[in-house]
Amino acid sequence: MKDVMVVADVMENEIQEITFEMLGKAKELAQETGGSVVTVLIGNKLDGLVSNLGASDTVIYVEDEKLENFTPEFYRRVLSKVIEKVNPKIIMVGNTAFGTDLAGLVAAELDIPMVTSCMNLALRDGDILATSMAYGGKVLVDLVAKERGMFVINRGSFSSDAGKVEGSPNVEKLSPADLGVSLEDSIEFVGYIKPEVEDVDISKAEIVVAVGRGIGDESNIELAEELAEVLGGVVAGSRPVIDQGWLPRTRQVGRSGKTVAGKLYLALGISGATEHVEGVKAKNVIAVNTDPSAPIFRISRVGAVVDVLELLPVLIDKISEAKSG
Amino acid sequence: MKICALIRMVPDLVEELEIDENGTEIYPSMYIANERDEQAVEEAIILKEKHGGTVEVVGIADDEVSTEIDEPLAMAIAKGADKAMKVNLSRPTYKRAELAKALAEFLKEREYDLILTGIQAIDGFAGMLGPMLATYMGLPYIGNVVYAELKDDHLLVRKELEGGVIGEYKVKLPAVIGIVSAEKPPRFVPFAKLRQAMKSAEIEEFDLDVPEIEGLEVERYYEPPKPEIVLIEGEPEEVAEKLIEVMKEIGVL
Repeated sequence: MKDVMVVADVMENEIQEITFEMLGKAKELAQETGGSVVTVLIGNKLDGLVSNLGASDTVIYVEDEKLENFTPEFYRRVLSKVIEKVNPKIIMVGNTAFGTDLAGLVAAELDIPMVTSCMNLALRDGDILATSMAYGGKVLVDLVAKERGMFVINRGSFSSDAGKVEGSPNVEKLSPADLGVSLEDSIEFVGYIKPEVEDVDISKAEIVVAVGRGIGDESNIELAEELAEVLGGVVAGSRPVIDQGWLPRTRQVGRSGKTVAGKLYLALGISGATEHVEGVKAKNVIAVNTDPSAPIFRISRVGAVVDVLELLPVLIDKISEAKSG
Repeated sequence: MKICALIRMVPDLVEELEIDENGTEIYPSMYIANERDEQAVEEAIILKEKHGGTVEVVGIADDEVSTEIDEPLAMAIAKGADKAMKVNLSRPTYKRAELAKALAEFLKEREYDLILTGIQAIDGFAGMLGPMLATYMGLPYIGNVVYAELKDDHLLVRKELEGGVIGEYKVKLPAVIGIVSAEKPPRFVPFAKLRQAMKSAEIEEFDLDVPEIEGLEVERYYEPPKPEIVLIEGEPEEVAEKLIEVMKEIGVL
């Protein structure tokens, strides 16, 4: 039990960035355990992707038509068998729509200790020390997994440089039958629904005024719209605002929404949960929140501790003045 | 269709979270219903309205929240759930695997067609309830669901993938589903109606033994390092002036 396993995160036949982040860390950990880095690749017609996984010592590629798109149950069956075969010490999966289904299913089935929202891993006397970002990023938790563990890794926790290596790892190509797995009778993938065409594409905007729970009420969205107008930007929101139906889904920033990458991201009353900040790649972040310990300040260039609703009317006036003057 | 929705209580992050000196315990000052579980309750009621059937809500409580949980349970009744139950855990646990094992037998006996749970709870770091519960119950699971609809012999669900892309899946019932958001915003319940439900709702109580699962322990809880930036404080006028300066620096004004 020495190997470090990375479950490749693949969507529509593309390896997602998180996979390389995990691979970089896996290499480092495997040096300490004296084991090898084993990447599990599940899908169909993915032979061409193996060379991108050069940071692995071995790639176990399980191929089948029915595995072309992610389905939790089929992937669980496959991954469980692969884990039983390899018996790794550490298993890393991404904190994604793919990984969060799979990790819990497999960990429960095989009785493997599991830690979610991991931002770091280290070894200590044969155990694994994991740091999890819990309570909306307000508390960190160090956990010790005895001997082995399944870790759901947050995006951006590790650099992808060390993991993004071309090469020719050993490839073990298997079919579900080789593993004794049947792909019948369960959850079936039907198809993808691509995002609707939006009125405004927030991912292309230079200036984004984003509102979160701190905006309080639907009627206050108007204030954000006014601010966006004087700044020449667009309005976006975090999940709670979108869930309330105060802004359309196309305006959601975060893991399951859009990534913003312009000049300025103005975060108003947004606490900054992991799922949200993953979608913030703007050059400058200015955050306004009443809570000085809000995690959003950790990615901000400038932060202000003040009530958004008191600030907005004043800010709108002053910017209008500055612009006209 | 016989539907079950699970409700957990979590610390209210607007309030202080106190960590003891050794970092071994964490003391929230207030609890609220887990937001994603409230979305699961909403979706359960939407499904009932679309296809008929019954909705039973199961509140999961340890000593700390055994009274507080009555309110979200009553709220679910006010919204249209048919029955509210409360399971009192024999001890608190942060391990989702232990919680899932404790619940599996209880839920199995009730022969639900569909069990809905919030995709996550903000106090979670050790395991995940939905997939673990499904595994111990021998049922299929799919998470990140934002829409569900009953079709002939299966449930059609939409799972949120990355970057706004949705995957559609056919799920054979019975199954466990992890909800991110209900297909519509949670319905509003007037205070009078909630108060009425608080008075009249009969909450059936059960005691559940929490089994022990070894292999994972918390070593310490601690606050993350403070952000490196200086936070601007003061009257809105002052703050606005300073923010405008920054915007000029950045080149957006």
